Amino acid sequence: MTSTRQQTMIGVLVFSFIVGVISAPSVAREFTPAEKELIVKSGVTPEREAYLKTKPYKGITLTITVNRAGKEGATSGPLYMFGELWGEQTGGKVEVIEIPFSEHFQKVWIDLFTNTGKYDCFLAGADWLGDLVANDYVVPIEDYMKDPLFPQWDPATIPPSLKQVWTWEGKWYITPNDCDGMVLYYRKDILQDPKYQKKFWDKYGYELPVPPATWEELRDIAELFNGWDWNEDGSVDYGITMHLKVGGLGVYHFEAMSVPYVISSANPDMWWFDPKTMKPLVNSPGHVEALKMLIELSKQGPEAAISWRLDEAWDCFLRGDAIFCFTWGDLGSLAQDELKSKVKGKLGCAPLPGTLRSYDPRSGEWVEFTKPNIVGNVTSIGCWSAPVSRLSKHPEATYDFLAFMATREANLWNALYGWTGNDIGRTFTFIKPYGSTDVSEYTKRGWNAEDAKEYSGAYYKNFYNLLQGPPLRIPGSVSYNSTLDLYVSQAVVGEVSPKEALDKVYDEWERITKKLGRAKQIELYKASLK
Amino acid sequence: MRRLTFLQQIKWYVITSLIMVIFCFPIYWASVNSVKPPLEIFAGSWFPFLQFKPTIHNWMVELGTEEVRKALFNSTLISTVSTIIVLSIGSLAAYGLFRFKFVGVKRQDIVVWFLSLRVMPPVVFIVPFFIMMKTFGLLDTPCALILINVTFTLPFAVIILWETFREIPVAVVEAAYIDGASEWQIFHKIAVPLSSSAMIAVGIICLAFVWNEFLFALTLTYKEAIVMPVLIGGTEHTRGIEFWFVATRTLLAMTVPIVIALSVQRYLVRGLTLGAVKG
Amino acid sequence: MREGKARYLFLMPSVCWILVFTIFPLVYAARLSFFSFQLGRGMSFIGGWNYVDVFNYSRFWNSIITTFFIAAVSVSVETGLGLLLALHFGREMPGNKIFRSLLSMPLFATPVAVGFLGLTIFYERYGPANLFMSLFGLQVPWLSNTFWAKMSVIILDTWIWTPFCFLVFLAGVHSIPEEMYEVAYLDTQSRLKIFRFITLPLLSPLIGIIVILRLIEALKIFGLPYSLTTGGPGTATEVYPILVYRMALKHFDFGYASALGFVFLAIVMTIVITFFKRLRRIYE
Repeated sequence: MTSTRQQTMIGVLVFSFIVGVISAPSVAREFTPAEKELIVKSGVTPEREAYLKTKPYKGITLTITVNRAGKEGATSGPLYMFGELWGEQTGGKVEVIEIPFSEHFQKVWIDLFTNTGKYDCFLAGADWLGDLVANDYVVPIEDYMKDPLFPQWDPATIPPSLKQVWTWEGKWYITPNDCDGMVLYYRKDILQDPKYQKKFWDKYGYELPVPPATWEELRDIAELFNGWDWNEDGSVDYGITMHLKVGGLGVYHFEAMSVPYVISSANPDMWWFDPKTMKPLVNSPGHVEALKMLIELSKQGPEAAISWRLDEAWDCFLRGDAIFCFTWGDLGSLAQDELKSKVKGKLGCAPLPGTLRSYDPRSGEWVEFTKPNIVGNVTSIGCWSAPVSRLSKHPEATYDFLAFMATREANLWNALYGWTGNDIGRTFTFIKPYGSTDVSEYTKRGWNAEDAKEYSGAYYKNFYNLLQGPPLRIPGSVSYNSTLDLYVSQAVVGEVSPKEALDKVYDEWERITKKLGRAKQIELYKASLK
Repeated sequence: MRRLTFLQQIKWYVITSLIMVIFCFPIYWASVNSVKPPLEIFAGSWFPFLQFKPTIHNWMVELGTEEVRKALFNSTLISTVSTIIVLSIGSLAAYGLFRFKFVGVKRQDIVVWFLSLRVMPPVVFIVPFFIMMKTFGLLDTPCALILINVTFTLPFAVIILWETFREIPVAVVEAAYIDGASEWQIFHKIAVPLSSSAMIAVGIICLAFVWNEFLFALTLTYKEAIVMPVLIGGTEHTRGIEFWFVATRTLLAMTVPIVIALSVQRYLVRGLTLGAVKG
Repeated sequence: MREGKARYLFLMPSVCWILVFTIFPLVYAARLSFFSFQLGRGMSFIGGWNYVDVFNYSRFWNSIITTFFIAAVSVSVETGLGLLLALHFGREMPGNKIFRSLLSMPLFATPVAVGFLGLTIFYERYGPANLFMSLFGLQVPWLSNTFWAKMSVIILDTWIWTPFCFLVFLAGVHSIPEEMYEVAYLDTQSRLKIFRFITLPLLSPLIGIIVILRLIEALKIFGLPYSLTTGGPGTATEVYPILVYRMALKHFDFGYASALGFVFLAIVMTIVITFFKRLRRIYE
């Protein structure tokens, strides 16, 4: 190639860089001045006011890791904004390190066990907490919570189901941030349409329940709407959309929906293991029944869903091509974005359906119910919140920053804006009469009023349900979860039968337990259930 | 080659076009994706302007993001430095293998040993390397990645260059030796120039290998030494993959090596004559 | 061939470099493989049990079969296609250089990125792959079926690496002297015969080396299946590097992962050495 060609190429490259530098749009979002004022004043005691005047953390930089999503992305975006605001208040500096979400856990681990201590805190998922607390890598925060020098947040605003995630044996270790659980989203407009209700009655012989209260009912409805074009957009539509990909969080579908098959008033806490022997319960008749239902449900949706991650699955629902989707709070808030969603104002939300019979592993019998047995869930993944690393050199500054984000106004701001990736769960985020907030807080942030009420109601009922599917919080929880993921996927794709798949999970879980030491696991599992 | 008839020429171009369409499709697709607004990614639209309104917004954000520029810079730095080191000491080693007999160790075995280094899944070395780099204080520096990448690309270069040197007529070397030249002179006055094309080809392939190395880059860097593959991996968020950024980053990531490769393209074909083909 | 002190100086830098950076990791990993390493709990010596566990583990066998299947098919297709392309583009036609350069672009694409790109290409509802298939009236479950998932990985891997084979074979084709072809054309007009009796035999040592080099690389395939299917659906594309990666960095059982690594090393090296010996025999 001649040198002129080389020069041209280099010229083009240089030019594009210059263009990039000049024309780069501002990437960060900003608080409005009104929001800033509210957040800055929230949780401030008179002692703290005086403390802040001394700029106590001047010269200190603390490092926090988070799932990579950029300055405008979910979970990470708010950190930049709060970091700056906190820095203005206290004189400290927050350095945000973004790590690809699938590698986040291991990078934090490597930092901890090699004693590197580069991270002061990390925005951890719920399922890491077992490993972190049990291996003594994080600092309890009870003393900080009592100290009036730090931003105040009220533990009473947290429902017991979520409190379980952030405490160990009753002691607080983690400042609350995000609240994650699955609810059912459905197309209220379609299901309430009389012509479809008549169709349903003709086919199934009972009235179309809006929302469905059992999984069997949901299956029937999904079947009615699967495989034909009911929204007249020219393409085939589906009953239900799911994200079943390995590593694409498909396993949490199974975990959330199978809870009522095993947990009930007869058995309020045994879903994962038998606390006496640490033998897995995962291949019990209840679990197998649930997996069979999951496979049934997957047939009422696109076959491709087996390889779908969150965005593909949610995209299907947001385009208006599916009736049901059961997933986390993000879908509700994404539905409010008119650029992406065609279902704004058409949303129905409800806690996940239940079952009419549930298996009790203690007695080995099925228990029948006259009213559907509905159980809440706080899924093992998500609930991104930060503990303070034991290797941190500035634990007070770190806690200060984390508490700053956990105060009433900060959390309200976080939870109500959909893009932040943080979802509602605390009392002041629910709409009256469930919580203390007015629906206008939602509508002024872009929510449709009806959608907001549905959403808030569903989540309230989910988190305040006395029966809860317990998240796994012992060492190895990531291993146990990811193994379950693999075999659930095998069963869904039809490679093995549900019973075989769950038997294989049993074997693998036994391997993991053996490696981790059965006695220690039993001790920790019992403690985690308290 | 015989002259082709006109018909045969047409046939040739037709087949070529077909091949080109198939091979370049993914790149075309990436370009289309990079100008799609996020809403359109799964809509199945193919042609900008015809089916959707293209936007430069993605590109502007990409080029304006400091991280992308840093990653591009780091990738370029690490790849070029590694390649230069690999070519220098690799060609020396290849020459040594070519010229000398070794007592006690068959040349064959050394080659096999080199090959074995490429066989082990890199994951097995993650923890030891992390500990090593931490001890030397080299975490999150381009230096660490250069050290490791050279280690793993060296075998490849040595083997191919060894084959190339074997191509050099023994008579030429012997003649030079008889004339009184030292080994070093033979090396850099005869062996290297004669196989310059092969060296460039090996250099380009090494560049590609190092450029695309993902696992070690991921584990050993935090922020300062971030490279393009890690950035591309980072488009996978909890909520989904930002395909439009994957597209822009892939295209960006392909540009620099291609620019370098195109500049030496003329040598690429001529130079990949491996010793195995007697010519 | 000479002897003398100089020989060491040439080899020294490379050998030293490699030794320094591989001895410690190798020894460390080898030692680890005899321990059960659990994060936060430290290590405990368990002798050879990790190795026994390797062969006991159903996922190990599944992974070996999957990996070799994908590697074998990919390498065969890449070599075959590369050869055909080299023959096609070996002719001196105007514009050849451009085509060759364009064809070498996929080499520089990061496998992880190609995997993500593949997600949009193989998107079963509206992606181009199924759009193309619908011309034949078919809809292929590219990513949600165990067989087709493997095929998707193979297709993308072929796209990335065929240029590598193509470029090398092209050089080989060019190094065959014109005279050989001239003489051959005096005897026969059949292109097939010329290929079989002249081109192929002259290229076979080259083909051998490429196959071995590609096989070694293909067996280490990681980024592509990880980003495209994450080893799924189920364990359909859980290739060996993904299995080792999971054991090391998800389950944090570094001892077991090291054992897996060394078992793999043993298997592949046996194949490589056997192949190499045969190759040398043909060559010499």
